[in-house]
Amino acid sequence: MKLTVLASAVLAIALGSASAYSDEVKVGALMGITGPLANFIPPILNAARLAEKDVNDGGGILGGEKFTLVVVDGQAAAQPSVDAASKLVNLENVAAIMGGLSSGATIASANAVSIPNGVLQVSPTSTSPAMTDMEDNDFLFRIVPSDNYQGQVLAKMVLEEQLSKVAVAYVNNDYGVGIAGTFKAAYESMGGTVTAFEKHEDKKNSYRGELATMASSGAEALVVIAYAGGSGAKIVKQSLENGFFDRFVGTDGLRDDLLIEQIGAEALATTFFSAPTSPDDNPVGEIFHTRFDEEFGEGSDKPFVDQSYDATMLIALAIEKAGTTDRSKVRDALREVANAPGEEVGPGDWKKAVALLADGKDINYEGVSGSHEFDNNGDVAGFIGKFVVDGDSYKQIAIFK
Amino acid sequence: MSAEGLAFYLIGFLTMGGIYAVLCLALNMQWGFGGLFNAGIAGFYAVGAYTAAILTSAGAASHVGGFDLPIVIGLICAGLLAGITAWGIARVCVRLKADYLAMASIGFAEIIRLVVINEQWLTNGSLGISRIPRPLEMVFSGRQAEIVYVVFVWLLVLLTYVVSQRLSRSPWGLVMRAIRDNDVAADSIGKNVQRFRVEAFVVGSVFMGVAGALSAHYFKFFSPDATEPLLVTFLCWVMLIAGGSGNNRGAIAGALVVWAIWSMTEIITSHLPIEWASRSAYLRMLLIGLFLQVVLQRYRQGLLPERRTTPVQAR
Repeated sequence: MKLTVLASAVLAIALGSASAYSDEVKVGALMGITGPLANFIPPILNAARLAEKDVNDGGGILGGEKFTLVVVDGQAAAQPSVDAASKLVNLENVAAIMGGLSSGATIASANAVSIPNGVLQVSPTSTSPAMTDMEDNDFLFRIVPSDNYQGQVLAKMVLEEQLSKVAVAYVNNDYGVGIAGTFKAAYESMGGTVTAFEKHEDKKNSYRGELATMASSGAEALVVIAYAGGSGAKIVKQSLENGFFDRFVGTDGLRDDLLIEQIGAEALATTFFSAPTSPDDNPVGEIFHTRFDEEFGEGSDKPFVDQSYDATMLIALAIEKAGTTDRSKVRDALREVANAPGEEVGPGDWKKAVALLADGKDINYEGVSGSHEFDNNGDVAGFIGKFVVDGDSYKQIAIFK
Repeated sequence: MSAEGLAFYLIGFLTMGGIYAVLCLALNMQWGFGGLFNAGIAGFYAVGAYTAAILTSAGAASHVGGFDLPIVIGLICAGLLAGITAWGIARVCVRLKADYLAMASIGFAEIIRLVVINEQWLTNGSLGISRIPRPLEMVFSGRQAEIVYVVFVWLLVLLTYVVSQRLSRSPWGLVMRAIRDNDVAADSIGKNVQRFRVEAFVVGSVFMGVAGALSAHYFKFFSPDATEPLLVTFLCWVMLIAGGSGNNRGAIAGALVVWAIWSMTEIITSHLPIEWASRSAYLRMLLIGLFLQVVLQRYRQGLLPERRTTPVQAR
């Protein structure tokens, strides 16, 4: 049948091209290129490419071999992500996988492919609390803090501001539900009272009904866990216009320049925000962002650019440390290169890192998006910053760890 | 690439392909034999997946669950509950003619999706249900478990195939075809058209629920993004039409061929230079569309067209 011929031709091409380069080290990048996250992808992918370039410009990996990213499209959904990961692991024979962007795609591909096949997977963006206690034989890591973490830190921040009664408005997706749930639990256990706890759908025109109910509950401030562009800015605006609330607390989703444009800095004077941040005055961040914009023209301020670079770089370092592409050894090496103690290396320090590893020294990668100290679950604590409005942008005033 | 790698890629491919084969056989019972235009496949798939997930997963504080029941019971309940849901929906809409039934079933699937996202106490909402077991997990681990699971999936494909094949040759199946081809004529010789349609709708949906349960066990995790209509409803329709509606083997062949096109086009596009990475993903979507056009143009009746069925001889 013609289709069989076609299918075997496809396989033959794949076989041919796969065997053409044998002296390269391949790492998979499981991205959601098409699908709901499509808009976020180009800068995230560029960051991973910059890491690839840094390794190759710095003399290659494992004694001069070429470091190659194989990019596949998981469409940010479970079925295609599992299929794409299977191709990476079984056909491309990658040493490790960077990715899984949405938590659903990451967890499904890890469960069905990476964990049974014993392949290290490092997600740059998945924040689902479910990943913490997965039975993953230590093959699944991520370099963003779990939603649980930001929720707990936010609770601490709110109480430090002497706010003991708040209402919470959160968007009905894994981001909003995750942070709101842990915020409520942590806040109440520390003695605060949540007077109203309302979820809402994104992108509606009016939230006045929900807000009116919440305003009558006697809260001192409104905690908004939503994206500014989706519902967050509207909620703040309608609260102010109708006099429902005059004080707000936001998360990283709300901390968007768009909010200041729409509301104005004066009205937000008492508002503060929590957001994952980099360690104190991180100079490597600025250098990295300048380099990124020189290379690609723009995009260094886009979400998850830093994490994507760091995840790729950590995998490369782990392979170099392991001295082989053997998958379990790469997994074992990841904590050694990421966690303290050890000589600190940063983004763009590939040559230095290779030299240190060659001398048998221990290294500790301090990345653009944080210092990445993995705990036993493969999670990072990360840093959560407290931000306030300053003119037409935001200023970090404290860091919580 | 090693031979072992290729073998395990094929195992993964066949697992997903097998799940689609069950879905496709189920749709064949509804559309192929009964002419029922079900455009809400994703809804029944979701009901089955969540039923199995809730009944078999380990305990969780955030939602109902932790019954830790055996997988077989989960599968049976998944089928039953999808069937009961289908019965309720069928009572309301099976009287509707083809395209109206399509609209109504899309509506119900959307309702089910919204229930799943919003009823957090039941489904854990958009965070999804995790720690769903797979069969014989205690005994086999790692790559062995992959082999066990592909066998498990294909046993269920076989079961669905046998049921569908028996049904299609039974007197019931012949009446269904008569209704599909001319419901007025079937009515005039005293067949209860309504009842037969409801039955076909329910039986098909039972197996859609089973397919959902199989996915949940395969991913060991289930969240609403896996019920995306493009990946369930739309793809399943393409598979059945490409494979040959009305023919059970055609349904299985269609599922495998279309899933192969879906999966294997990426093997080509992922070898394009990395500057092309984001473009090649869209190129792949284009290729998939092109392949499907070719299949549908070349084989109008599907790869394996429907054949005249000989009824099972009365014994």
